[in-house]
Amino acid sequence: MNVSNHSCIRRLSLRALRASRTRNLVAVLAIALTAILFTSLFTIALSINEGIQQNNFRQAGGCSHGTFKYLTRAQCDALKDDPLIRAYGVRRFLGMPTEAPFNKDHVEIGYSDENQAHWGFCDPAEGRLPREGTDEAATDTRVLELLGVEPATGARFTVTFEVDGQTTTQTFTLSGWWEYDEAVPAHHLLIPESRLDAVLAETGVTPPGSDGMVGSWNLDVMLKNGAGSIAADMDRILANHGYQSQTAGEDYISIGVNWGYTGALLADKLDAATASLILGVLGLILLTGYLIIYNVFQISVAGDIRFYGLLKAIGTTPRQLRRIIRIQALLLSLAGIPLGLLVGWLLGGVLTPVITARLNGVRAVVSVSPLLFAGAALFALATVLISCRRPGRLAGKVSPVEAVRYTEAQPAGRRAKRNGRGVSLLSMAWANLGRSRGKTFLTVLSLTLAVVLLTLTVTFTGGFDMDKYVSNFTASDFILADAGQFQNGGDAFYDGMAVPETVIDAVNAQGGITGAGRVYGKTAPAEEFVTEEYYRAVWADWNTPEQLDSMIAFMEPTPDGLLADRVQLYGMEPFALEQLTVLEGDLAGLDDPGENRIAAVYGVDEYGDLEPGSHWARLRDTVTLRYVEEYEYFDPDTGEVYGPRENVPEGANFAQRAVKYRDVDYTVAALVAVPNALSYRYYGADEFVLGANTFIRDTGTDCVMYYAFNTTDEANAAMEAFLKDYTGNVELRFDYESKATYAAEFESIRGMFLLLGGALSFIVGLVGILNFANAILTGITARRRELAVLQAIGMTTRQLRWMLALEGLLYTLGAALLALALVCASAPFTGPGLNRLLWFFTYRFTLWPVAVVLPLFAVLGAAIPVAACRATQRRSVVERLRLE
Amino acid sequence: MAILETKDLRKYYGSGDTQVRALDGVDLAVEQGEFVAIVGTSGSGKSTLLHMLGGLDRPTSGTVLVDGRDIFRLKDEALTIFRRRKIGFVFQAYNLVPVLSVWENIILPVQLDGNRVDTEYTRAVIAALGLEKKLRSLPGQLSGGQQQRVAIARALAAKPAILLADEPTGNLDSKTSQDVLGLMKVTGQRFGQTMVMITHNEEIAQMADRIVRIEDGRIVRR
Repeated sequence: MNVSNHSCIRRLSLRALRASRTRNLVAVLAIALTAILFTSLFTIALSINEGIQQNNFRQAGGCSHGTFKYLTRAQCDALKDDPLIRAYGVRRFLGMPTEAPFNKDHVEIGYSDENQAHWGFCDPAEGRLPREGTDEAATDTRVLELLGVEPATGARFTVTFEVDGQTTTQTFTLSGWWEYDEAVPAHHLLIPESRLDAVLAETGVTPPGSDGMVGSWNLDVMLKNGAGSIAADMDRILANHGYQSQTAGEDYISIGVNWGYTGALLADKLDAATASLILGVLGLILLTGYLIIYNVFQISVAGDIRFYGLLKAIGTTPRQLRRIIRIQALLLSLAGIPLGLLVGWLLGGVLTPVITARLNGVRAVVSVSPLLFAGAALFALATVLISCRRPGRLAGKVSPVEAVRYTEAQPAGRRAKRNGRGVSLLSMAWANLGRSRGKTFLTVLSLTLAVVLLTLTVTFTGGFDMDKYVSNFTASDFILADAGQFQNGGDAFYDGMAVPETVIDAVNAQGGITGAGRVYGKTAPAEEFVTEEYYRAVWADWNTPEQLDSMIAFMEPTPDGLLADRVQLYGMEPFALEQLTVLEGDLAGLDDPGENRIAAVYGVDEYGDLEPGSHWARLRDTVTLRYVEEYEYFDPDTGEVYGPRENVPEGANFAQRAVKYRDVDYTVAALVAVPNALSYRYYGADEFVLGANTFIRDTGTDCVMYYAFNTTDEANAAMEAFLKDYTGNVELRFDYESKATYAAEFESIRGMFLLLGGALSFIVGLVGILNFANAILTGITARRRELAVLQAIGMTTRQLRWMLALEGLLYTLGAALLALALVCASAPFTGPGLNRLLWFFTYRFTLWPVAVVLPLFAVLGAAIPVAACRATQRRSVVERLRLE
Repeated sequence: MAILETKDLRKYYGSGDTQVRALDGVDLAVEQGEFVAIVGTSGSGKSTLLHMLGGLDRPTSGTVLVDGRDIFRLKDEALTIFRRRKIGFVFQAYNLVPVLSVWENIILPVQLDGNRVDTEYTRAVIAALGLEKKLRSLPGQLSGGQQQRVAIARALAAKPAILLADEPTGNLDSKTSQDVLGLMKVTGQRFGQTMVMITHNEEIAQMADRIVRIEDGRIVRR
């Protein structure tokens, strides 16, 4: 039978709710704290995600979904109206200035329409984009600074740049500018399309020029289907117009998918370790939230058990009782969750910039995604509903008769112990904790979690190993090189980038240098000989099997069946050699002119372990290197020899072979890893290290790629200042890296984790303390009468306070012991786990957070009961005795 | 000489129209070793009087003299200590500490005072109340009559000069009431204690040496 009793149940819930204000406050706070935990974490996570995505867009140079590259005007016009395209923008690249003052910055001159400029972060903050048919141009503040032009519309400036190898000098009038953004790798100087065509005509370049790029049409698109299926949609668009992006040919059009859309990235980045870490943290929060909310409801139901017994006695069913509790929980959530969402969001907003500041150049964004709030609210609500299930069952199960007699004391097999010894305040306190072991355990557990979390945070951040971190990025205190060598995606090293001796002399003149060495880079062609199998394995990453077949078909194997492949060489002075990690063998005598020794460069993973597949040469192998002085070019199909490169007819297939060369045999003396700081910093080919003298003797070149040196601690700051000034004002072509830069970066990463973990521990600690306070408070209010009796029969107020304080101290002692046990027991697992998680981590066992938190807890443990006791003392013993 | 004496004892709650005069000038003297029953209807002020006698509540005006000493001149802390040495309480609702065994409940006031338990005396009290076999039990395992006997033993354990009982048989059936009260009287006489008991049961009151009737906060003599 279905009776309409909802309003009655609702009324009962509301009245019961109104009757216990303190409990409500605690419950709302608990729910709010749980919601805060979820919201702040979600805010941080989503904000970082959005921040990274935006940053990716900026690094990718735009936020369009993708680009059809190097089109003809006709192709561009055909593609742009495809129904799959929601919006499009056109860009045409003209040229780049490379001479000073632009040698340290990547500046592109070209035409972008309004959409493209917007997607490429070229929205003028002042002025506007250049108008067609004028000599106007718009650019960013950095370019203006390099040009020495004050940002003011109408300013005229002149830029010399290369258009497909032709140098031209053009004068423009500034029509608008935007703020320089350091995360965007390229600076843009935007000109009208009419001007672009005029410059092309002037320099005699016909799009797409010899490099296939200059003046061609690039079509940036936003897709109707969103970011979920960019590559597939773009291929469909091409197919609609009879083109494809897979193999070279007449119908080939290159496409670029914007990798900034995290949808595609997240799957790659989310490995098992990260995923389990995220799940672990979420689980922990769920648990802490559950612990307190559950405890609040459990205690409250136990306190109201007579009320529920009465309700049951007059005919309320268990289901209705459960609903009464659930309605109360939902009403409390209604107050607690929005509060938590707001505070959590604000907290996340405060923390996010601190975190993003560590993520190179990611601009702080505080996400306001509705997903965030919905998710956090959902998680918090789930916690609440799960938490009130058992208390609900308890209320439903209660027998109406028993409920009236229900006390928390459970006389369970303790009689034998309670004999003869008499009572002390401590034993009474201890006995009181035993009244409700479940409640005591949960309270202790929630305090413990906070301590464990803090210990974990401290262990985690304390284990960050600065030496491991810094040594991964830099080798010596300072490294000086051509600015291009430090730039991502810069030019391959060539003789124009060499560090001249005059610069080295200027550095040496500063004094305080304790050790220094040059690293010579290869500027003349050299080859090694590898098996076809190895060749295929190495190049398979970048080529299809068909492409590999044709590449090998063009090559002429040596008599013993080996293939010539490019090789990358280092020449290192002793100081630089010392910076290498020797994996096998040793470097002694590497520079001995009579020995012809060489070291093979292997790749290592982040933990410094050798990756065996990263090179073919083994210890004591003999390696033949071919120093090529002259190549000849030929047609691989007919064998017809063209001679030098310039004689190769346009569009013909050609292959090259060395005709004038010297072969030198070396013995592999060591397998080494080159620190990233001293490496070429781009993937080239198999690499070998030679002694400096051997390198100069055999290659016939001596271009210094890096000058690496250490200074005394005292001279460090002075050298840093000198280099900053020297490379910034005197020798602009050069730049430097120092250990101090990386040390600072390291500190900020550590600070971020400390802050994050600290905040998390703090909130969890707050939950624990709230839980503790709640347990103590409800314990005291439930025992008001009993405590009054104790006073009536002669317990002084002081003794009463002592007893309650002892109860509190026992809770905290329990928490400390449990935390200690957990930390010690988990140490064998967390150590290796953390070591695996972060490569710059060295696990150290830490206990001091437990020791630090303990006194704090002890003070709270004693203070909360005493304060609560004081509050109840305001009523006279008689009044309290009368309470039922 | 009176061991317990009140002089013009008044206790008012509230003020103005809603003022309740729980006690309105009570003069009462109880002799050493006397067993006095205070009877009255509910709301007559008898419980308030008992609380005043035991120093659990402070009067609006007037004095309570125990052994000739004005107990309300004492500070709270001193009053509590005075109370646990001189006065034993028995409540209608027993008010035992649920986590302590019967034995621990009985000796609690003595131990709170930091004194050694006079085991012989306490055993005698326990024997007189017939609780020997229940010493290790927790209160929750006892019947109402047993619990009240434990409460009486607790009140007597500290050898108080005065035993104050507030409806000690209020929760008990009449047979048990007679038993408990008989025990209380016998042990009180045996250990030379003065007893003041509140009851609204005339039959129970008849067991006392003297009956004091209280109405509207005043003692009614007849």
